[in-house]
Amino acid sequence: MGIIFEFPDLYLFPSGLWVTIQLSVVSLIGSLVIGTVIALFRISPIPPLRWVGTGYVELFRNTPLLVQLFFLFFGAPLLGIRFSDEPLEFNFRAALLGLSLYHAAYVAEVVRGGLLAVDKGQIEAARSLGLSYLGMLRYVQLPQSFRAVVPPLANIFIALVKNTSLATTIGVVELLKAGELIESRTFRTVEAFGSVAVLYLLLTIPMGIGVNWLEKRLRVAR
Amino acid sequence: MIEFEDVHKHFGALHVLQGIDLRVAEREVVVIIGPSGSGKSTLIRTVNRMEPIDSGSLVVNGTQVNAKTVDVNRLRRDVGMVFQSFNLFPHLTAAENVMLAPRRVRGLSEKAARERAMELLTKVGIPEKADVHPARLSGGQQQRIAIARALAMDPKIMLFDEPTSALDAEMIREVLDVMRDLAKEGMTMLVVTHEVGFAREASDRVVFMDAGRIIEDSPTAEFFAGAKEERARQFLGKVIKH
Repeated sequence: MGIIFEFPDLYLFPSGLWVTIQLSVVSLIGSLVIGTVIALFRISPIPPLRWVGTGYVELFRNTPLLVQLFFLFFGAPLLGIRFSDEPLEFNFRAALLGLSLYHAAYVAEVVRGGLLAVDKGQIEAARSLGLSYLGMLRYVQLPQSFRAVVPPLANIFIALVKNTSLATTIGVVELLKAGELIESRTFRTVEAFGSVAVLYLLLTIPMGIGVNWLEKRLRVAR
Repeated sequence: MIEFEDVHKHFGALHVLQGIDLRVAEREVVVIIGPSGSGKSTLIRTVNRMEPIDSGSLVVNGTQVNAKTVDVNRLRRDVGMVFQSFNLFPHLTAAENVMLAPRRVRGLSEKAARERAMELLTKVGIPEKADVHPARLSGGQQQRIAIARALAMDPKIMLFDEPTSALDAEMIREVLDVMRDLAKEGMTMLVVTHEVGFAREASDRVVFMDAGRIIEDSPTAEFFAGAKEERARQFLGKVIKH
């Protein structure tokens, strides 16, 4: 434990890691929800919804995440949007929103692919039973697309965890920022950023293992 | 119960239904035969508006099927449909397949839906497969469950779109037996099939279609005693030889 007395700043690692986990989990859920809605828009029988869906994906997928974060961080207040009056909370919420919106575009494409891969006969059978379009989506098309979308979604979410490091540029004290602070106070550059890398691995590698396990289970289920 | 009057339907440049006139009365079993591409499947798919019609009038259960105001989901509750490729939901067990519509469309409780599903699975002869997923069932079993699923909404009309065409010979029989029972119970049925034996035994009328038109529409006995139309006779000759 001597090392902790020598470098009291080390507490920054667990607190930075915790912020990174919060950013990851909340934007993962956010991007899943937004992405699924956008995917449903993209395959909707109503043309204006399809246009909105396509526009969303093109906009968020074809501009850099960093630009989107800067836009939210610097631009939103000028447009009269205040995520919070408390500066750190403001940064955190801007990052959450930016990460969710950006990854939702990728989620939407994956979910759309999964939905389109469901056999047309399934949709017809559901509709012929009197299920509405939304009922069919909920009980037939979405559940069946689930298995196909798990591996590509996992890739997106692993990328998301790593991309949370960009939040450091808009003043969120997450894992990378913690590493920077420790490095600047200790000058132990290799150790500081090496530790940061290892901590990211501790988050992302279990995700990969979890997905493999889920994939196997889903395969057995049928 | 079902009334077609001068019904037309196009797929792009293809004129698939060219002025269909057909009436099916309550409790009647009508078999539609004809070469592939003659419009048989399209014809029965218009009955529950899986295919909208371009012109003419189609009345099912007293409802003008293609009227803009028609609640298509309500219409479909009264019209069961069985598909060539079964189309059971692979993520659900046999019983859950049967329970889905009663629960999610009718709002039946899980218990009530399960009881009804078990009744229907018993009726089609495979209650023991209730908790098995479709992938682990034979084609014949899958199709019987698909029939049970269609019956779960207590339809007034049942549509069968080549229900045995994807099945091996030994499984065709078990599906046809279920259909025969249904016909005996007085279900109104419109059946597209190549099973001449079924048509002969279980149907009241045979409709022969070719190139988007109804060429012949005769009582079953008359049809098999000697079809009036040359094309129907030729087709029958080919089908029966096999």
